[in-house]
Amino acid sequence: MRFLPHTDSDRQAMLESIGVAAIRDLFADIPAEFHIEQGSLALGDALSEAAIMRKFTRAADKNRNATNTRYFLGGGTYHHFVPAVVDYIISRGEFLTAYTPYQPEISQGTLQALFEFQTMIARLTGMDVSNASMYEAATATAEAALMARRVTRKSRVVMAGSVNPRYRAVTANYLSRLDGDYVEVDMGCFGTDLDRVIGAIDASTACVIVQYPDFYGSVYDLAPLRAACDAAKCLMVVAFSDISAFALIESPGALGADIAVGSGQSLGIPMGFGGPHLGLFTCKQQYMRQMPGRVCGLTTDAGGKRGFVLTLSTREQHIRREKATSNICSNQGLMCTAAVTYMALMGDEGLNTVARHSAAALQSLVARLPAHVRAAQGARYNETVLSFADSAARDRFLAAAKERALFAGIPLEQIDAAAEPRHLLIATTEMVEADDINDYLDLLEVAK
Amino acid sequence: MSISDTTFKYSGTVGMQHEEPVLFEHAHEAPESINLPGVDGDISPELSAFARKTPASIPGLSEPEAVRHFVRLSQWNHGIETGFYPLGSCTMKYNPRVNEQVVRLPGLAHIHPDQPEETTQGVLELMYELQGWLGEISGLPYVTLQPAAGAHGELVGLMMIRAALDARGQQHRRKVLVPDSAHGTNPASATLCGMHTVELKSGADGRIDLEELKRHLDDETAALMMTNPNTAGAFESDIKEICRLVHEAGALVYGDGANLNALVGVARPGDMGIDCLHINVHKTFSTPHGGGGPGGGPVAVNEALAPYLPVPRIEKHGDTYSLVHSCETSVGPVLGAPGQIGVLLRASAYIAAFGRQHLHRIAEDAVLNANYVLNRLKGRYHVPFDGLCKHECLLTDEWQEKHGVKTIDIAKRLIDLGFHPMTVYFPLIVHGAMLIEPTETESRETLDAFCDAMIDIADACEAGDTAMLHDAPLKPFRRRLDETQAARKPVLVWPK
Amino acid sequence: MTIPAGLKYTKEHEWVRIDGDTATFGITDHAQEALGDIVFVELPEVGRVLTAGEAYAVVESVKAVSDVYAPVGGEVIEVNDLLDGEPENVNSDAYGAGWIARVKITADDSVELMSDDEYNTFLEE
Repeated sequence: MRFLPHTDSDRQAMLESIGVAAIRDLFADIPAEFHIEQGSLALGDALSEAAIMRKFTRAADKNRNATNTRYFLGGGTYHHFVPAVVDYIISRGEFLTAYTPYQPEISQGTLQALFEFQTMIARLTGMDVSNASMYEAATATAEAALMARRVTRKSRVVMAGSVNPRYRAVTANYLSRLDGDYVEVDMGCFGTDLDRVIGAIDASTACVIVQYPDFYGSVYDLAPLRAACDAAKCLMVVAFSDISAFALIESPGALGADIAVGSGQSLGIPMGFGGPHLGLFTCKQQYMRQMPGRVCGLTTDAGGKRGFVLTLSTREQHIRREKATSNICSNQGLMCTAAVTYMALMGDEGLNTVARHSAAALQSLVARLPAHVRAAQGARYNETVLSFADSAARDRFLAAAKERALFAGIPLEQIDAAAEPRHLLIATTEMVEADDINDYLDLLEVAK
Repeated sequence: MSISDTTFKYSGTVGMQHEEPVLFEHAHEAPESINLPGVDGDISPELSAFARKTPASIPGLSEPEAVRHFVRLSQWNHGIETGFYPLGSCTMKYNPRVNEQVVRLPGLAHIHPDQPEETTQGVLELMYELQGWLGEISGLPYVTLQPAAGAHGELVGLMMIRAALDARGQQHRRKVLVPDSAHGTNPASATLCGMHTVELKSGADGRIDLEELKRHLDDETAALMMTNPNTAGAFESDIKEICRLVHEAGALVYGDGANLNALVGVARPGDMGIDCLHINVHKTFSTPHGGGGPGGGPVAVNEALAPYLPVPRIEKHGDTYSLVHSCETSVGPVLGAPGQIGVLLRASAYIAAFGRQHLHRIAEDAVLNANYVLNRLKGRYHVPFDGLCKHECLLTDEWQEKHGVKTIDIAKRLIDLGFHPMTVYFPLIVHGAMLIEPTETESRETLDAFCDAMIDIADACEAGDTAMLHDAPLKPFRRRLDETQAARKPVLVWPK
Repeated sequence: MTIPAGLKYTKEHEWVRIDGDTATFGITDHAQEALGDIVFVELPEVGRVLTAGEAYAVVESVKAVSDVYAPVGGEVIEVNDLLDGEPENVNSDAYGAGWIARVKITADDSVELMSDDEYNTFLEE
């Protein structure tokens, strides 16, 4: 077995030094009835490295992927460009195979990268501080609701119906076992009517959660909501699914978010069938000590040199146990390193180009839609909903597009169970080329 | 220079260490931007109305500068590829490189979770197979791959336990018993699940005390959360009786699988009476820790808990695999995705490499290595609990403290000698804990070098040569860092 | 380690100075020593009404955290805002600059209180 360094004579010598005759004697404290026979488990045969590559390549070949298919899919996962350097950096063993940086003297690489990550995420979202990641956006949204309850010492959570249904479902699920109300506000079909959300706020409300740009792609002003939150002394939580937007449009922080959470997958992380992605968690400085998860802070060492450590640890489970701000321990550390590398390669200008191209592709498509397909109204970043005459027309189009190596969108009801089955959620990124849009428009003919 | 250089004994060294500014200190103007694909067209006027007014101030570096920046940072890190990493309860084993190749196959890396299901049969097939393997290895046949980490798995497992009790009409069962040796995630997860914890005091041998357990079991008890082997590295030999008592009281047994590396292929938690177990694939199945994550915390349960598994579930009907999103009895969705797929694929590749022929050798060599270290150090360091250990061994600083040397000093001195320290000050049930987990992928040569270093440190204590221990580490890029300053005046972002 | 006369002490290592109907709270020198370098004190809101024995503040060091309980009941009328930026005052001057909160005693509500001598004996036990 190539991952095990011992020879049989090593093992024998080690057993002798321990003073037992056989390896099985080391397991004598496990009752005999629980010992299983060697080789009796129903697993596959041991595979050589070559056989492993063959097995996984065969499976991979059954999946259509972004190297052979054009993607107009979003809904929380986006096909953005990933520079080769990102994968190189996160493949380096010093980043890849390190543990959580609890021994800071020999983890300064991870720690400085986390500090740079936190800074860039705070800047991009327009927030004061960021933690060192959550699992992904849906659980980050749930954690934001929990944090708002701690900060305000109130327990009611109001969720806008325009938030990604998966973020809503996970948040509702997390809250369902705790005291306090959870209210989801129906905003109608792709609705942007914030007044309905504002109407749901009362004195016991801890926070309102909205998504910006919302699940259906809408971009709208949150100022009225901010004012309503101030009046009711509750927090405004802004969720987002494609952070690349904030290089182009106003950030959640600029719109007054108290907490902003979402996905950082767009920052150099492949779609990967949904994970591992990157959950982001940011907030205003004054709420910093109620944040969940790890954070990295600046300090000095015994020689007076600048260095970094994990800090504010008393919030966390390993110290505060049942009173911790969250149960999270492992986070998405390596994905933070990917994101910070990506952002350093892009800079403001590159990030802005990504966002502009993503938005321009959508605009180019929507502006040329034929009459038999309608796009949702209002300002959009890189995502929108197309509506067809009926589900048959839509599905004809999807099938034809798939034939032409083009995934044209996500049937809306696949994520949003309440939606009619004639809508299609579509997203564009800088990976969409002008020809792809032309093909898309040509293919729409079959939906007539 | 002679060919055989015997001037060094340990690999700790002062190499070529480059200072590297934080990104925001690179003063020059942004270089020419990276060349990006896509549509260089107009954005809609509606969107323009929301244009960001001030740039985010993300400094851009040219590619060579960026590479050098991050490569230099990487060089300040210790990783399992650099050297020994004996963190107890963390299972820092070698991470096979072929697994990295596997997850980068375009058909696995560049696929969207919502693309048509007939175009993702390959990945679903691999996930379905992994579910089966984890069920077989744990002895708990029903598996969800969704939880994103161990702590997330704990929450999901407790959700299922709670749902099963509720289905029996036992909504009053909300008490979770947690030994005082448990990981902090256990009580934190129970709180998040709307339950409350009661701490069980460990017995004199560090194990669960049956009398203490009986005292706390009552008709409000929902579950016992236990780690076996426990965090002192000892197998809970009373496991059968523990499970019997808990079940007799109408409660369930939750297994924290953090220490599964001691049992994998040798014995199965499900056979012992555990009802529900999370598996840290980033420990037992060698997915890289990545400086803190991502991890994966699949949960395996018995038939009684199976109806409550979260959605989506990966099912096979005929020759077709599918994600099933609705199920009435399910505890619901717990993540916005089917799971940390890339992490799970690596775990699958690790299991495949050992196969049914060799899987038990993971636990065998892991336990052999821990006992070897324990045996070599037990005369020089205080061992709080006698007997064989499993995959990790527990020492304390009791003997060194007499010389004014504490666990923290021993840990930091190890850094100077070229080793990552063991887990320190955990578990909380002994004073000055040092928890050492060598894992199965370390050679005897490495174990000996580490034990020699530990013995050198013990010698230094006894010789009164303690100043260098208090000052340690002296060799790495940074010396001891001021955590008080960091927490008093937190600076979490670089000022603009 | 000091235990000034004239103050009352609790088994949870808090001190209270009662002055007419006003009581000032803090943690003892022993408590701050056990916790180590204090990095943060979470203060109660002014106006909050406490019952004796209720956790009203949290004192944190780098690796430990401790709830602080009210020795007597009453309404919080003042908190030591200086601790916000200088929590180290709890370490350097536990009975002076390190005070935490001041309450107006509204009812006869108190946990078991000890004199300085009694507290000293309690610590030695």
